[in-house]
Amino acid sequence: MKSGSRLFTLLAVLFLLLLQTGCQPEGTRPKMRIGYMNCNNEAETLKRFHPLTVYLSQKLGVDFELVPVDTQDFAERFAAGEFEFTHTNSLVYLIMREESQVQLLATEKRGRYGSHTSGSIIARKGSGIKTLADLKGKRMLFGPQLAPSGFLAQYDTLLQGGIDPETDIAYYAIPSGSFKHEKVVYGVYFGQYDVGAAPSLDLELMTGDGKIDADDFNIIAESPIIPYCTFGARKGLAPALVENFRKALVELTEKEVVTYAGEELKVLASAWVDGFETLEDSDYDQLRAMAKRANMPPYQEF
Amino acid sequence: MAGRDRFDILIAGGMLVCVLTLGVLLAGGQERDPSTAALDKALEQQIAYQARIDFLHNLYQPVEDLRLAGQVSAALLKLDELARHYPQEAHGQILQAEILLERGVTRESIDHYVRALRLNGDYVDKASPLSRRSEIEQLVEAQLPVFAARVRKNPQDPALQKSLTGLYYLQSRLAGGCE
Repeated sequence: MKSGSRLFTLLAVLFLLLLQTGCQPEGTRPKMRIGYMNCNNEAETLKRFHPLTVYLSQKLGVDFELVPVDTQDFAERFAAGEFEFTHTNSLVYLIMREESQVQLLATEKRGRYGSHTSGSIIARKGSGIKTLADLKGKRMLFGPQLAPSGFLAQYDTLLQGGIDPETDIAYYAIPSGSFKHEKVVYGVYFGQYDVGAAPSLDLELMTGDGKIDADDFNIIAESPIIPYCTFGARKGLAPALVENFRKALVELTEKEVVTYAGEELKVLASAWVDGFETLEDSDYDQLRAMAKRANMPPYQEF
Repeated sequence: MAGRDRFDILIAGGMLVCVLTLGVLLAGGQERDPSTAALDKALEQQIAYQARIDFLHNLYQPVEDLRLAGQVSAALLKLDELARHYPQEAHGQILQAEILLERGVTRESIDHYVRALRLNGDYVDKASPLSRRSEIEQLVEAQLPVFAARVRKNPQDPALQKSLTGLYYLQSRLAGGCE
């Protein structure tokens, strides 16, 4: 081959290579996964978080895949490297922080306490149950064990009030299936149980929707406020990517829309979120103290 | 035409007296002292304002009772319930702000104070029975340096910017207008 044609071939190859790297249309961008903790069920998780995942993909130029994950399996699957970014409740965040050094990105805002929430202990109005001391020998319904404001906060409140849930309460149970928090509220409302451990947010939303009235329950106690659901990132990811992810979350406004499945959807409203806020890891110390006192993961000892 | 008798003269005289009396009364009404009219209007406004204060006290009394009894969570739920019927009522926003501040939820408390003052400026009026001026002054004094420092640390965070803007708004309402 003549030197002129060799040069031409080399230039053509270089040109084609440049053409391929110069723009990255959807599908050819880097791929990453976001694990979302199921609150009620997988179908709900997919519906809620698809628009947010599309928004993050557009903002960061990364093809994010939405991975719905069961709460109980979350920390283990994250440790196994199944996803790079996480969206969980604050207790699961603490577990991953302890076990896998997950980085704190942003905390979700929802309801009157914004990026925080709390747990309430409720009894039916007229039941005569008004103080923590009245709970001795009663039947109680809790939310799922890894729910910070549906189990841990109330468990700790009982301990702090001198009630050991394992010995002082006649019997306690956790409802099965989806919508456990609403089942707790209705379980008490319809008299199936004497006392319930309800997230304060659920009481607020149910009152706002008119499902219950403020006067239906005695609120025996409310825990201190603790951080709400949390986004995290795997340790060792590119700092610029992590920072851009955090920025994309905290900059989200209620007006932001994406097109998904032929529909234009509001990102925050679809995800049932009011916004995102930057918190410090030290803001989770209250929750850490609760988990230690209640002997719960990640500090559980036998 | 028959001549006028005494009865006709009596009727005509009576009518003349009526017309004159009416004229005097009308003229007297027009000449009423303007300060008396203003006083009446001020009184009307005062009565209406007092009625509004009494209405607010009655409406939110269950919330205040729950707060006094230490039932803060129940008080918040009661406020949610009242907000469904009176969504534009500033007093509910004020009570929400106070309770959230007591619970350490500063950002949301600032939001509620801002919403309340946008609806009703009486809450920074020293003379108003609704006044929360000193509480708002304390909030601004304590939190302005905190949020200014946090925004300097995270200048891109819109939520922090919103809280700081809210504090500036409260500060400006406390300072009053340029009159």
